[in-house]
Amino acid sequence: MKNLLVIEGLGVRFRLRDATVHAVSDLDLTVRPGELLAVVGESGCGKSVLAHALLGLLPANALVTGRALLHPARPAAPGPSTQRRTLPRWSSVLPRPAGDRAESRRGSSGWSSRLSRRLRDSAEHQPEGTGAGGGGVGSGGAVDLLACGEKVLARSVRGRRIGLIPQSPATALTVVRTGRRLLAETLTAHGRDPGLAAQVAIEAGLDPADLERYPFELSGGMAQRLATALALATDPPLLIADEPTSGLDRPLVDHTLDLLRRRCDAGAAVLLITHDLAAAERVADTVAVMYASRIVEHRPAADLFRSPAHPYTQALLNALPDRDFTPLPGHPPMLTALPPGCAFAARCPRVSETCATRPSGPVACHHPLVEVPA
Amino acid sequence: MADLALSRPRIRPGTPVAALVLGAAVGAVLLVPLLLPLDQSAVALDRTTLPPSPAHPGGTDDLGRDVLHRSIYGLRVSLLVGVVAAVAAALVGGLIGGLAGLLGGWVDRILMRVIDTISALPHLLLGIFIVAMLRPGLGAVILSIGLTHWLSTARIVRSELLSLRTRPFIDAAIAGGAGRTRILTRHLLPHVLPKIALAVTLMIPHAVWHETSLSFLGLGLPPHLASLGNMINDGQRSLLAGAWWSSIVPGAVIVAVTLAIAALAGRWRDHLDPRVRAELNL
Repeated sequence: MKNLLVIEGLGVRFRLRDATVHAVSDLDLTVRPGELLAVVGESGCGKSVLAHALLGLLPANALVTGRALLHPARPAAPGPSTQRRTLPRWSSVLPRPAGDRAESRRGSSGWSSRLSRRLRDSAEHQPEGTGAGGGGVGSGGAVDLLACGEKVLARSVRGRRIGLIPQSPATALTVVRTGRRLLAETLTAHGRDPGLAAQVAIEAGLDPADLERYPFELSGGMAQRLATALALATDPPLLIADEPTSGLDRPLVDHTLDLLRRRCDAGAAVLLITHDLAAAERVADTVAVMYASRIVEHRPAADLFRSPAHPYTQALLNALPDRDFTPLPGHPPMLTALPPGCAFAARCPRVSETCATRPSGPVACHHPLVEVPA
Repeated sequence: MADLALSRPRIRPGTPVAALVLGAAVGAVLLVPLLLPLDQSAVALDRTTLPPSPAHPGGTDDLGRDVLHRSIYGLRVSLLVGVVAAVAAALVGGLIGGLAGLLGGWVDRILMRVIDTISALPHLLLGIFIVAMLRPGLGAVILSIGLTHWLSTARIVRSELLSLRTRPFIDAAIAGGAGRTRILTRHLLPHVLPKIALAVTLMIPHAVWHETSLSFLGLGLPPHLASLGNMINDGQRSLLAGAWWSSIVPGAVIVAVTLAIAALAGRWRDHLDPRVRAELNL
């Protein structure tokens, strides 16, 4: 089937005063409709930055390179969720100079770049009314999420074509309104019936009675389910779930994962960002393992869990309690000082001289445990 | 939450007293003009500088006018000016602070430097300058207060917005596809409004004092109209003759009422932000 999301050579760097953090490097990924792709890795390997880069939510000091083409979910007639917009007519939501890759790459920020971006966005906006996306138009009506600018992201991508289940949902909810009003507001804004709020809540595993509570009255798990319900309310073709199961106990984890699985079975795509390998094993079609800003192994889930090819993947699996329960010694390299060769070499049991050069391919290793055809 | 709020020892002895004083003042200001209208230009030269008595609880001034009666009329003007000017100042401050906080960058930098510059000048001096440029009257006084007292509100609103902007729920709302207008009205404003309302309330005493100062200096209302500043100024003439009440009564009215407002506003602030209360209680 045709790809829904194609990420090519995505790089995200953060400029600090005295260092550069390489959060994501040369990342290639594809997501097909109906696919559940799990991105797994240790904390701080760049998983969440990947999600934020796709939605243009990175802070001002981020430098983004590469392409991320989002294709229309239903090429003949763009999906209703992309068309039924009643929402914003303004360009950027808040000034976020990083929302504009081209500008931030040139290193300018602040007022002038915002002004120029606004001018450019208004010029680019004309073809956007077709729902296929305006600025950064790639082949076949696709939108380049990294180049299309704030206006296109705000008007036709965020919430409409890509939903996000945010990390730490307890702080991701506006506290001044009850869950029901938050849900109804989201449904209305996306042209759906606000009366569906209870139904969406039940779908996400939340008792509708709890919708009458304010977010600060919810437990962590309840807030997580409300955030999930809010993301599902817009019914986006691509859902990015950033650690959607943290803080949930096992039955609710399973409930949430099954919910994501059902979405994929119904034709939507899910990008599941997690460090919970058991969760990935339960529902994922494909798994991408991230290590030190790079994807080191990207394979079908069944293959990967049965016979991991990258030594790091194996080490991760061996750390699971129901496997060896053996933690991997050492620490990942600092993202400010990545080695030129394989970043895992320092911790790798199979290291050799060739590891001083960077490996590539679906399994980024010079000495894979199993041979995987490219 | 309700239990938590109840368990806090919130009511301090000053609060009911302040509420009583303010209630009495507002009641008097609303009822007295209806029940006992005052002829502002009337004089009674047969009973000048009478000390306080049952007939004239505040005594009379050197033109035989009832001091307490005029004080209530003066308070009416002061409260009106105070509230209107505080709201005006908060509007200006909210707008400028909002611009600085939302647009950031150069706009923020320039606006904040402007605020610093204006802060460096004494309020009263600037206020006098503004009044002196305009036709004297209530409008000039309100404008003078509005244009000199917005600085703190602007700073409060800006800093609130800056901290709110980095909160995850704003990111989440953006990720959900909310536009700039919606973020502003549905997510930022509900968090900033209580702070602005509090700033207005805390500013009312300042505005009242500012108005009184201007009137005292002869820059406020025309001298024949009852205003607390005019009365205190007039009373000076009688002070040496021993008629202490002609200045003390309007002075006491303004001190009591502004302290009451400030006390109640302070309680409200404590309620909104218990952390500040803990610091103040030390």
